[in-house]
Parts: sequence; structure tokens; C-alpha cells
Amino acid sequence: MKKMIALMLVAMLVGIFGCTKEPQQPAGTETKPTGTEPAAKTSWMIGMSQCNLGEPWRVQMNADVKAAAEKQPELTVLFKDAQNDSLKQVSQMEEYITQGVDLIIISPKEAAPLTTVVAQAVEKGIPVIVLDRRVVGDEYTCFIGADNKKIGKAAGEWIVKKLGGKGNVVELKGLMTSTPGQDRHTGFREGIKGSDIKIIFEADMKWLEPEARKEMESALARYDNIDLVYAHNDPGAHGAYLAAQAAGREKDILFVGIDGLAHEGQMYVKEGILAASFEYPTGGKEAVETALKILHGEDVPKEITLDSTVYTADSFK
Amino acid sequence: MTEPKHQDTTNNSLVKFLSSPIARALFALILVIIIGLIRNADGSFFKFETHRDMLRHISRYGILACGMTIVIITAGIDLSVGSLLGITAVIFSLTTLHLGWGAFLAIPLTLLAGVGCGLMSGTLIGKFKLQPFIATLAMMVFARGVAKYITGGEKITRAIQKGNEFVYVDLPGIFAFLNSRVLNDSVAVVTIIFLICLLISWLLLDKLRWGRYLYAIGGNEEAARLSGVPVRAMKLLAYGISGFFCAVAGMCQAASEQQGDPEAGQTYELTAIAIVVIGGTNLMGGRGSIWLTLIGALTIGYLEKILSINAVSEAGRLMLTGAIIVGAVLFQGTKKR
Amino acid sequence: MTLTVDTTAAPPLLLQTSDISKDFAGVTVLEKVQFDLRPGEVHILAGENGAGKSTLIKIIAGVHTEYSGQVDIQGFTVRMKNPLDAEKYGIAVIHQEMSLVPSMSVADNIFLGRENTHAFGWLNHNYQKQQAHEILRELGLEGINVSLPLEEYPISVQQMIEIAKALALKSRIIIMDEPTSALTDPEVEKLFAIIDQLKAKGCGIIYITHKMEEIYRIADRITVLRDGKYIGTADAEDLPANKLVNWMVGREITEQFPPRTGTPGAVSIRLENFSVPNPGQGAKWLAHDVSLEARAGEIIGLAGLQGSGNSALLQGIFGAYGPIAHGRVFLNDKPYTISHPRHAINSGVALLTSDRKATGLVLGMNITRNITLAALDDFSPGGWLKHGQEVDAAQKHREALRIKADRLEQEVNSLSGGNQQKVALAKWLQTKPRVLLLDEPTRGVDIGAKAEIYRLMNQWTSEGVTILLITSEMPELLAMSDRIYVMSRGKVTAHYQRGDATQEKILHAAMGHDIGLN
Repeated sequence: MKKMIALMLVAMLVGIFGCTKEPQQPAGTETKPTGTEPAAKTSWMIGMSQCNLGEPWRVQMNADVKAAAEKQPELTVLFKDAQNDSLKQVSQMEEYITQGVDLIIISPKEAAPLTTVVAQAVEKGIPVIVLDRRVVGDEYTCFIGADNKKIGKAAGEWIVKKLGGKGNVVELKGLMTSTPGQDRHTGFREGIKGSDIKIIFEADMKWLEPEARKEMESALARYDNIDLVYAHNDPGAHGAYLAAQAAGREKDILFVGIDGLAHEGQMYVKEGILAASFEYPTGGKEAVETALKILHGEDVPKEITLDSTVYTADSFK
Repeated sequence: MTEPKHQDTTNNSLVKFLSSPIARALFALILVIIIGLIRNADGSFFKFETHRDMLRHISRYGILACGMTIVIITAGIDLSVGSLLGITAVIFSLTTLHLGWGAFLAIPLTLLAGVGCGLMSGTLIGKFKLQPFIATLAMMVFARGVAKYITGGEKITRAIQKGNEFVYVDLPGIFAFLNSRVLNDSVAVVTIIFLICLLISWLLLDKLRWGRYLYAIGGNEEAARLSGVPVRAMKLLAYGISGFFCAVAGMCQAASEQQGDPEAGQTYELTAIAIVVIGGTNLMGGRGSIWLTLIGALTIGYLEKILSINAVSEAGRLMLTGAIIVGAVLFQGTKKR
Repeated sequence: MTLTVDTTAAPPLLLQTSDISKDFAGVTVLEKVQFDLRPGEVHILAGENGAGKSTLIKIIAGVHTEYSGQVDIQGFTVRMKNPLDAEKYGIAVIHQEMSLVPSMSVADNIFLGRENTHAFGWLNHNYQKQQAHEILRELGLEGINVSLPLEEYPISVQQMIEIAKALALKSRIIIMDEPTSALTDPEVEKLFAIIDQLKAKGCGIIYITHKMEEIYRIADRITVLRDGKYIGTADAEDLPANKLVNWMVGREITEQFPPRTGTPGAVSIRLENFSVPNPGQGAKWLAHDVSLEARAGEIIGLAGLQGSGNSALLQGIFGAYGPIAHGRVFLNDKPYTISHPRHAINSGVALLTSDRKATGLVLGMNITRNITLAALDDFSPGGWLKHGQEVDAAQKHREALRIKADRLEQEVNSLSGGNQQKVALAKWLQTKPRVLLLDEPTRGVDIGAKAEIYRLMNQWTSEGVTILLITSEMPELLAMSDRIYVMSRGKVTAHYQRGDATQEKILHAAMGHDIGLN
């Protein structure tokens, strides 16, 4: 019996590693020419270090990087997932450095623990593009990121315009202990400053749809007059919509979310569930474009702030 | 002569009731409701919808807690319920939304998946003598991994990628049904399902021979074994049923979110355990009842609702919830023989 | 009447308690009880289960702190707030249920709670080990490695270590609550030798036991409690056994062992070269090459010291170890394959285990549910429980076995030892066994309940049941058994007909001297 279990375990391990290895195989074979022709480089290998593939948005980021890289035949991208563990990400970075990749794109989990290893890579002559979250200091090649505060402000301004300057708004916040949550909150408050918009109810929904639904139910029970719900992400806005729908009040309320993923926010907008969804761009495409410039020896700005697209019903006409 | 004696017995039975586990669990619930009556958020607490929605929200947790109660009565624990909810929500969404299966095919498959995972835990515990904590911890991690593997880490929504374009499928009828209300709009379907799960658990624990065996195993496994109780089979049963309820809750989750989120159900196991414990079912096993779990679910449900309608900050909610859990359990502990 | 005693001549009392009363939730469990202890004496505290002995002990040991009355220790009135207080006053308790940590080392157990430390709380391991070794040597246990985990040693040794723990305290008042219940005869002798040493040192010993022979072996004085009331104190020689029993139960029990009558019927169980392999570590066989037979209506005694294999033999027959036994078994002349307890129960075999708390009863379940547990199939046609039938059956047993309980819904936890044992017996009777395997059926049971269990055993055998009996009380074995097999190191070493056996012969065979089977 024990032998059987051992056998099963081995089979499983082999199976799983088999899966993860696959994308790396062509990379290995294609890198050979780079070793033989160091003078005129025509193909490059990029290491992509993702902090956590548990979040759909980050899955999207990887997909964007992959899609952009596939359009450039001279680029090969390796992917590593640190599974939300800073130290694991450090060691994965070290692996890239030892391996001698030509460029690293990192979306760090936390700033402090990853600063040193990013600096090490730069010292070794490997350019590093930092994506989405920052590291401490300026020992990196380029930072690309969206600005949550800016998006929150844009959402606030859009809402002021949409409601004609006044109205009752419910704010369903992400986690107020997280930076995106705080920024999407303060940006939004800046955006509505000076208008007559009243925030009648606000609550943390922890980025989760069922929680958002529960909080919205409370808001609905308490207030008969709600004009708009601003949620810090699209699932939150959707949860709020479901609560209003269950109360028969979804027609009286507008719902606005953030993220604008194709299979989520964009779909909700298309179906008329959300009035608007503000894209939080992953920067995957921009990262690959910037990488190409760096590898070709062109100058790039130290900091690139991504623009946010707003999806409304008009976007799909 | 007889009269004072009669009075004595009624007095006694009152005392007996007040010291019974049910009364102690009810005390915590009533306390929470009183808080609600005082902090009623401009009368929101008195609205019918508030109570209806509270029941809808707590039902998914309650369904998980039904299985958890059965497992805890055998002196075990099931840490995998949150992950099993996640994986079954994904399977249900995948089959109905992406593969376009009918409910009559998708529901049995989802239930089978839940039961299968539960039986796997049960085998590890019953046959290979792993501690329930460890076996179900492994299952919790493993099932989450499988859910992410199936979905590639993305939510299974009504949007299906065809090349660079997205195609949107209609919401299946079963999703709409599970997400609707019945009886003149007064009670959510999920709540009815929770009640059915309670009923199933009650029949098992109180009316069936198997239920008696579960209590005996939790009370004294060796004595039960030597009394001819089929210990292994009963453990399979307990974890299998827990897996079944996870699948039920998973389908409700998918219907409620209108998607299959591989991340769904994280930390739900803790809520389910809290519900069971606040109800007063002993983690040492052998004692407890499904009705205590109902009271525990209502207590947690009302607590969350009251905090929510008063828009209490997240920090305040966490502190209050922790305090209430300790308070309720301490209160039950002090009156223990 | 007041006695004037010349206190100047007598040594001061170690302990004096006067007018102790105590109630639990309105139920009086002790009522104006007197007790005192002189230096250098063994003072037996006697009484049936539920008489209030344990409560009194717990008051003296600082466990129960709410009581009325007065406790004086060496002339000073004290009021202890907790057991630690009692320890400081030189009181040590050796419990019936051991208070040791099996996974910790012997030395650590002996010093648990009063570790010898250097500065900053660093444990002084070497000193502790050395001291532990010293104390154990005093007890005649030189061979014990104090660094090994306690659980490596058999229960009997653990019990001695518990005593060593009390000695490490250098206590003057030592309370022993049934200390011999898990000890073999030679170990009991050792214990008595230690008690003599303690007496010589001026310690006083409060001793609780249900075993008559022990009382008269070591008692200097005896105090009897009954139903929470103080009955009296007397010197041991002034209180002969019949009078003591009279004090304890309030009536004369003239005949402790009822006579065995009736003639045995056909052979109901036969073992041929039956062996039980050891599923764990140690010797290869728990019981080896045992052949015996028992007839309907017979009580067969299985004598043997701890670890002789008699207990393992019963468990092997019952299938408690699973289907690992070798050899052949016949029930009513039909071959029987040993598999699991459930199979045994269905085949009319029942096993009353020696430890009712660990393996016999589900303590948190009520009386009815414990009684029906092993025969639940009969009460649940198609899987659905018939609560009414269960209660009826339990009620029948409650009357037949005279189980004393307020309600059948009571948890068995709340019953006295004797009544718990009766519930365990009732559980097995409910399976309607033809072969009843009884392992220590009267352990920890008071005198009144013992007599009832003997009466019931006679009744069942007269109905054609076969009983295989293990008991560590020699008089019980001799009086109740129709035939006796003696086992030593897994093998049968002697076989006696009723009347042939004597205590000496059995002990001789049990020590491993092969007498040869007739």
C-alpha cells in the first residue's frame, strides 16, 4: 500500500513538473545562438518574475507580456511565479541573474525585500523593468505602473459629471489596509471634491464579491435613495448590482467599478450591469515594448505612468 | 403535599433548561440581537429585508458548518471545506457555463467531486490513520491547487475567449434559480437549501444508527470499535458528507457570484468552525447537535449584519467578532460540569 | 460525651479535620466528618463508592476549597487555596488515575511542577536525574533509566514512579488512593515495604482501598464513611472484617461470594493451539499455543500476572487486534474465524475490557445509548433508530442490574464506578452473548456492587452463558471459577479444577513454573 502511495506521489510530481517545464524547453534551445554570437545580438531572453499568479489581474499581466512578446520573434520570455512569497521571488531573481538572462521584468511582491536583488541585477549589467509595484531607491532601469490615485480621481470626476454634480453614493472599498485600496479611495475623494456628492455609506468588502453583496444589502436596507455605487473593483460592483437586483432596485442605481478586465468588467459594461469600468492596465504590453527599446540600446524614461481607459456602454458601440 | 413538589420539579426543569447547551447558545444569540435592537441603524434592523438577506448570506457558511458539525462530533476537523467549495464552484461553472451542460448533468458531477474529495480525506484519516487536522490541511492545499490548475488561475465567467474576442453566454437557468427567492419573495433559495442540509444532518445524527456511531466514535473511539462500531466506514461517511455539503455550498457560491472563482471560499473553513464552536459543539468530539450549529450560524449572521448596517470599520469588526467568539465560548465553558 | 486525652504524652497529630461538610449544588456529599492522622501510621479511609472518601481527600489536598469545618495541620489551622498550597504543607496525593505525562522522561515527571533550576530558569537536568535515580533506588527500582520517556515502562512501574514523585516532595502526609489497582503482587509487596519505611520516618499515610486483604495487611486505624456521614474510627484489630463491612454498607453481608451451583452443559468455546502475535514492539507472541475449552454454564478463571497474556488472549478471541490470531477456534463445535469485534459480537462473543473508562464506555454518552451501542442493529431496523425500544431495553437492564441513576438520560460520567461497570455489563448482555469474556469485572467497584456482580455472574451461567474470567483478586478468582487456567509469559502453565487450586499453587504457576497440564 505504501509503495502504491509513493508511486502515485512520484507520478504526480513528474506530471506537475512536466507541465511547468514545457514552456521553458523552447527557451533553452533558442538561447544557444546567443552564446555563440555575442557580438551582434539578434535574439534575447527575458526573465519575467511575477509575485503571485493567484490574482486574475496578474494572470492577465503575464498573458499580456506573452502576447506582446510573441509578436517579436527575437524575444523569448521565461515566467516564474513567486506564489506571493517575497523570499521565493528573491531566489527566483537570483536564478535569472545566474542564468544570465538579457533583461528582467519584475512585478515585485513588496518593495523592501526585493530592492537589493534588483540592484544586484543592474550591477551585473542586466536591465530591470519594475512593473506595477515599486522597489526602494532608484537602482532599476525603468518603472512602469498605473496610478491608482489617478484612476480613482478619474472615476470621481466621471461620476461627478454623470450625476450632474450631486447625488447619494455608496463606496465599497477594497481593503483599506492595502495601498491600492487607499489610493482608489483618496483619489476618488479628490475627484468629487467641490461637488455636492454625498458618500452616505462606505464599507470594506475585501475585494470579494460575496462581501460586497452583503455590504450593499445593508446599504439598501438603510437608505431608500442611492444614486450610484462606486466599488474599488469590478467584482465588488457586480456584487452590489446583484444585491440591488435582488431588492428590485437595480434600475435606480448606477454601478461603477475598476479593473476593466475583458472577461469581467468589460463584460459587465457590455451587458449594461456596470455604467463604467476603469481599466487598471497591467503594463504587460508596455513592458515588452520598453524592453525591446532597452535591448536595442535606445533611451527610455525612468518612469512610465500608464493611462487608464474607461469602458462605458459607448466603448462597445 | 404534592403541590410544593410539583413546583419543585418545574423549577428544576427550568434550571435544567437554562443550563442546557441549547439555552447557553441561545443566550449568545439573544445578546447579539439585543445589540441589534439598540444599534438598529435608523431602523434598518427592523426591516424584513435585513433578516432575509442576513439568512441568505449566512446560508453558504451554514451549509459548510453542517458538515463541519458532523466531522467535529467524531472528534475530527475538516479544514478543506473552503477549498472544496472553491473547486466545486469552479467545476459547476465550468460544466454549465463553458461546456454548456444541463443542470441535471452538472449537479451530480459537482456533488460527486465534492464527495470524492471528502472520501479521500476520510480514507487518509480512517485507513492511514493521519490526524484529521493534517489530512484535511493537505486536502485544503491540494484542492485549491487543482482548482487553479483547472482554471489556469482565472475566474470561470460567462465570458469565453475565442481568439482575441470574447463571447458572452447567457446565465443558465440553474444559476438564476439558486440566486432567486421563493415563497412570495420572502426567503432565498439558498436559505431553503441550508434548511434542507440541516434536516439531512439532523436525520443522520439523531435518527439514524450511523449518527449514534458518529457520536460514539467522537466520545471514545476505542470503546466504540470494541463495541462493533465500523469506525473506518463511519469516518468515510463523515468526511464524505462534509464533501457533499461543500459541493452544495459551492454551487450556491457559483450561482451567487455568477462565476467560478478558484479563489472562492478562502478562510470559509474558519467561519464554519466558528459557527460550530459558538453554537457550543465541543471540539473534543462526542457531544453537540446540529441545532446548536443553526444557532451558531444565526449568531454569526446577525453579528455580521449588525456590524454591516452600522458601517463599522473593518478593524472594529474583526476585534468585535473575536471578542464575541471568546465570550460565547467562555460563557459555555463556565457552566460546564 | 467528651473524652479527655492527655495530649502532652501523645505525639502531635499530623492532620486533624473536624466537622467537615461540603455540598455540590445543594446536594450534601459530606456531613460533619471527622478524621485525623498520627505520625507513623497507616490510616485506612474506608467506604463504598460515593461515600465521600474522594471529596474528603480533595479537601485535604486543597482541590476543593469551599467547605465548612476546620483543617489543622501539625496543630495549625489552615485554609488551603489550591493544591500547591497543600504541597507546601507537606501533603502529597498519589491518585487512582495517574497524574503523569507519558511522553516526558521519568526524571522530568518526578520533578514536574517544582523543577530544579539554575538562575534564569535553566533546568538543572543532571541534578534532577541524579535525585530521581536516588529516590527510585530507595524504592528498589534501580533498573529504571530516568531519561527514558515514562510511557516506555509498564503501568505498574509508572505507578511506582508516581509514588516516587510524592517522595521527592519530602511530604509528611501521604494520601494513597487505590495505589495497588494496577500493580502485580510482587510490586504490591514492594509498595508495602516502602510504606513501612515511610512510617518509620514518621510520615502518616491515608490509604484508600477496596481490597479487604490489603486493609488488614497494613492498617493501623480505620475510619469509615457512609453516604457522606462519619460512621466511626477504630484500631484495625478492633474492627474485624464483618464489622467493617457492616459499618460500610449499613447491613451485614454474610456471604460475599454466592455459591456456584448447576452443572455445565456442552462445550461452547474451544481453542486449539491458539496464538496471538504481538502487533507492537517486544515479544513475538502475546499469547502462544493456548488450548482450552469451556462449557455452557461454566466460569473459567484465567489467572496470571500483569503481562502474562491472559488479557491479550481474551482480546485475541474477541478480534480486538484484528484477524491476526493463529490456531483454531470453535464456537459450539463450529469452526470460527476471528476477524473483528463486530463479527465476534454477532457470533455471540462479548468482551468486557479491564479499563471501562478508556475502552469500555463512551463516558460522554448517556446510560441508554451506552447500553444499546453494541447491539444497535437490533434497535435500528433499516438504519432508523427506535428510541422507545432503546429506552425500554435500558430500563430493563437498569432494574435487573440495579443500576443506581436518577435518569437514563444521565451521562455515564456522572455515575459511580460500580454503576458504570454495571452499565458496561448491561451493554454486553444486550448483545445476548453465549460466551462472555470478563476482564477485571469488579475493578474499582465497591463491596455492595461486587456482590451484585457475583450474583449476576451466577445468574447468567445458570442461563447457559460461558464466562471466561480474569481478576487480580485471588479470593474472587478462587471462589467464582469452576476451573482455573494459569498463564505465564503467554503460555498456559497450569490447570486446576475447582477446589484443587490454592493461592500458593496459582502464584507459583503464574511466576512461570510449569506445573504440567493434567
